[in-house]
Amino acid sequence: MTRTLYVTGRVTRQLLHDRRLLALSILAPFVIVYFFKLFFDTMPPGFPVARYAMPIDAFLVHFLAFLLCALVLVQERTGGTLERMFINGYRREEVIGGYVLGYLGLATVQALVALVEAVLLFNLRYSAPILLQLLLVVWLLALASVLLGIFVSTFARHEGQVFPFVPLIILPSVFLSGLLVTVNRLPGWAQVLSHLLPLYYANNAIQEIILPAGNLLHQAGSLAVLCAYSVVLLFLASRTLSEVE
Amino acid sequence: MSTPAIQTQGITKHYAALQALRGVDLSVPAGTLFGLLGPNGAGKSTLIKALVGALRPTAGTVRVLGLDPLRDRAALRQQIGYMPQSPALYQDLSARDNVAFFGSAHHAPDLARRVDEVLALTELSGRAGEPVRQFSGGMQRRVSLASAIVHRPPMILLDEPTAAVDPALRARFWQTFRDLAVQGTTLFISTHLMDEALLCDRVAVMRQGQLIACAPPRELLAMGSTRLTVVTENGSLQSSIGSRPEDLALALRAFGLGHEVRGIEIIPDSLETVLLRLFGQQDDARRLQ
Repeated sequence: MTRTLYVTGRVTRQLLHDRRLLALSILAPFVIVYFFKLFFDTMPPGFPVARYAMPIDAFLVHFLAFLLCALVLVQERTGGTLERMFINGYRREEVIGGYVLGYLGLATVQALVALVEAVLLFNLRYSAPILLQLLLVVWLLALASVLLGIFVSTFARHEGQVFPFVPLIILPSVFLSGLLVTVNRLPGWAQVLSHLLPLYYANNAIQEIILPAGNLLHQAGSLAVLCAYSVVLLFLASRTLSEVE
Repeated sequence: MSTPAIQTQGITKHYAALQALRGVDLSVPAGTLFGLLGPNGAGKSTLIKALVGALRPTAGTVRVLGLDPLRDRAALRQQIGYMPQSPALYQDLSARDNVAFFGSAHHAPDLARRVDEVLALTELSGRAGEPVRQFSGGMQRRVSLASAIVHRPPMILLDEPTAAVDPALRARFWQTFRDLAVQGTTLFISTHLMDEALLCDRVAVMRQGQLIACAPPRELLAMGSTRLTVVTENGSLQSSIGSRPEDLALALRAFGLGHEVRGIEIIPDSLETVLLRLFGQQDDARRLQ
């Protein structure tokens, strides 16, 4: 556990030292949420902004947490530091654990920034418990996204090979997770794909939370699937992140 | 006789059609400064990666400090230091943070003091707090070396540690290596620079994935020849003799060493020439097979 925290400490120090990356990581959701505000302002009165605002926040955190974590781990591999960590005695579960904790910290900050901004920009009147529940869902999604990034990074030899995974894995979430259209209006095969995407479960939970009489417990199954998603990805990443060439 | 620090038998490594290692048998005595010499692409890095357990050989056995680098890798990795060919450092972190991070994997006691020691040893104390990305290539090599030795390992494996390093820094590196060897550390150093091989206690020569010689550098040099030119009042005579001191004595005795000898010019083969000849013999042998 101590060595996991050493990795977390190092990942966090790296993030804090790379001010440009840090600023862009936090600024990006900020700017994109603002663009959505401009877009929603063009909609006719009565447009259900709340139905889209929080899921879009969740998607941004999902996308950025996945991409950043995958890219940085691939950089570790191409730069030789991943191999050096292993030869120095760090084990893969310690490396994965350290990365998850480090990037989860960043994802939490991103989620908070996007959440606060969305509430302010879209004038959403949520109580503190509702906001905490939303944060919990986005945080669980971020955890799955970081692990997805770690898992995918094991299949990329260089940074460029990470990008094809974005249209393959992340972008379909926009169309298939219920973010834009209700999933049960999609063809059967697309509905099957929807159920494979973590954003689908996060969106279900968010839609329940923001209902006037919403109860997160009604979506306990979605939360459980989000958690299970992380457990499965943790297992897969620990199998595919190889210490030996 | 003590157990060798490194013992390999018949290691091979195939990457599809490429045979990176072809049956390498090697024995490295403990406490020696051992050089692995060979041109680029000879298989030196592949061999080192097999020794540190970063690569699974296709066949053969490896023992490092009596341990199997794959099966016993957790135990072995606590006892080795490794400096890869590329700097392999975190560019946004300071030299001190890099060394401390790699050292912390070993739970080294008094790590902070030890980090200061190795930074001083590698002459980095004055810039220890600066990000590595601001350092020259040579300085990054120093950070990398400090990271490899911070936990006082009994064995250090260095993959071309002086590549792209200026001559003055190279000399300081080799002095550090010699000091560590004197203290009982086993050093396994790959290089493609012939003059560096002369600084080792023993040298293995590698080419095309095979070991083609393994001996102290003086013995390798003795495998070469010396061109002898005897200049007299009547002209000069040239002959080729062995490179050992007794070969020269024999040649001069046969010549008579009369008073008419004005000077003797000796041009021994360099280690590079010896090795190029060995490579040629290897090629000839392969052609005859």
